[in-house]
Amino acid sequence: MSKKIITSLLAISVASFVYAGGFNTQADKDRKALQEYMEKKFASVKNASTFFPYSTKEELEKNFKWGLKGADFNLGSYAYNKGGKAQRDDMMEMPPFEDNIDAGKELYEKKFANGKSFKDCFPDPAIRGDYPKFDKEVVTLASDINKCLKDNGEKPWKVTKGKMTDLQAYFANASKEKGKKINIKIDSKEAAEAYERGKKEYYTQRGYLQLSCANCHVQGAGKRVRNEYLSPLFGAVTHFPVYRMKWQGLGTLERRIKGCEKNQGENPHKPGSKWQNEMIYFMSYMSNGLPVDGPDIRK
Amino acid sequence: MKLLKITTAILLSLSLANASLSEDATKLDVKKVCDVKANGLDKVLGVAKKYNPEAIKLGVEFKRLGIKNREYIKAVEEAIKSKSKDTVIKYKKKGKEKTKKFPTDFATWRACTFAVRALQLHEEGKKTWRLAVPGDGFKY
Repeated sequence: MSKKIITSLLAISVASFVYAGGFNTQADKDRKALQEYMEKKFASVKNASTFFPYSTKEELEKNFKWGLKGADFNLGSYAYNKGGKAQRDDMMEMPPFEDNIDAGKELYEKKFANGKSFKDCFPDPAIRGDYPKFDKEVVTLASDINKCLKDNGEKPWKVTKGKMTDLQAYFANASKEKGKKINIKIDSKEAAEAYERGKKEYYTQRGYLQLSCANCHVQGAGKRVRNEYLSPLFGAVTHFPVYRMKWQGLGTLERRIKGCEKNQGENPHKPGSKWQNEMIYFMSYMSNGLPVDGPDIRK
Repeated sequence: MKLLKITTAILLSLSLANASLSEDATKLDVKKVCDVKANGLDKVLGVAKKYNPEAIKLGVEFKRLGIKNREYIKAVEEAIKSKSKDTVIKYKKKGKEKTKKFPTDFATWRACTFAVRALQLHEEGKKTWRLAVPGDGFKY
């Protein structure tokens, strides 16, 4: 009898383990395939003509760093773009976002009208890599910050810039200092479905220019548009919120996606919408395991 | 129970109507249906007005240089009403009021092609998106 019970319990635990592990199986496959593609693309200048048919060997040798692996891609296009990386390194000597981190720390500690603060919602500020989460729907860091504000009787913030980026900059910096990694979980059927919807939208061509996000950031990563080298999807979220020279300030990933949609020739989805959040969920999973290194600087 | 059945039937027929509108667009020859010389302004604008609301609903409406297609349509409608050869589009860019002027023929053609192509692209995307996914349809 006891043997039967033990066998049944064992079967249940094995089945639940397999089931629990199953929700992110496809996402893990996708992430590994993406990493493999990027590493192969930037392995060596010798086989670069396969991936960069319009660039000369001289240009690629002079401008690119090769032999990239895993966390090298955290730097986005600066992982391979030597000139861009040099400019970024110069700016990082006096990072233009330091005041934002300080302002974020103040916001984190400042009391709401009810006497509570963000500390009550987020006791550990090193949480940047744990978002988005899934709880009936995709919960981004921005949506959880706004939930905290609303729950405490405060007005929600704009999700693209301003106070939102200051607080996120503080969270990102705290995560970086603690050596945290992007750690996205897909632990339910609904979460896997949200991931798949985000993936589909990422790879779907849209707008009058008929471009998908992947045209630029998967197949196009490293290719030149005007005088810029396009950044890769692998490692794309690790450095947000990011200081962009174009913006002359910090912005969230929501803000960047809105800009990309405009560039595709489409009326952009609302920042913080279900559509955008699911896209961010997919993009973040693609960087799973990479170190959080925001805020950072990009053009 | 009866109310539930009626609601379900309405919702089902509405979703079928929407699906067919999007699929319907794939059967159109954009060059032909949006040809202003051959069809006239009213008819071409009618095509834009028929398909663009569906593009908005699906979240795939086109936008160029800060102007949404719904803004082209609205401005063209006014231009046709007033028999103006020029279409003046008022729109907002980064919170600022802006205006742009286009020949009405051109603006009508654009409104029509943008409305139809947005839906065609939406349908095409359902079949093509996997071709770009590493580890799936994308081979290198």
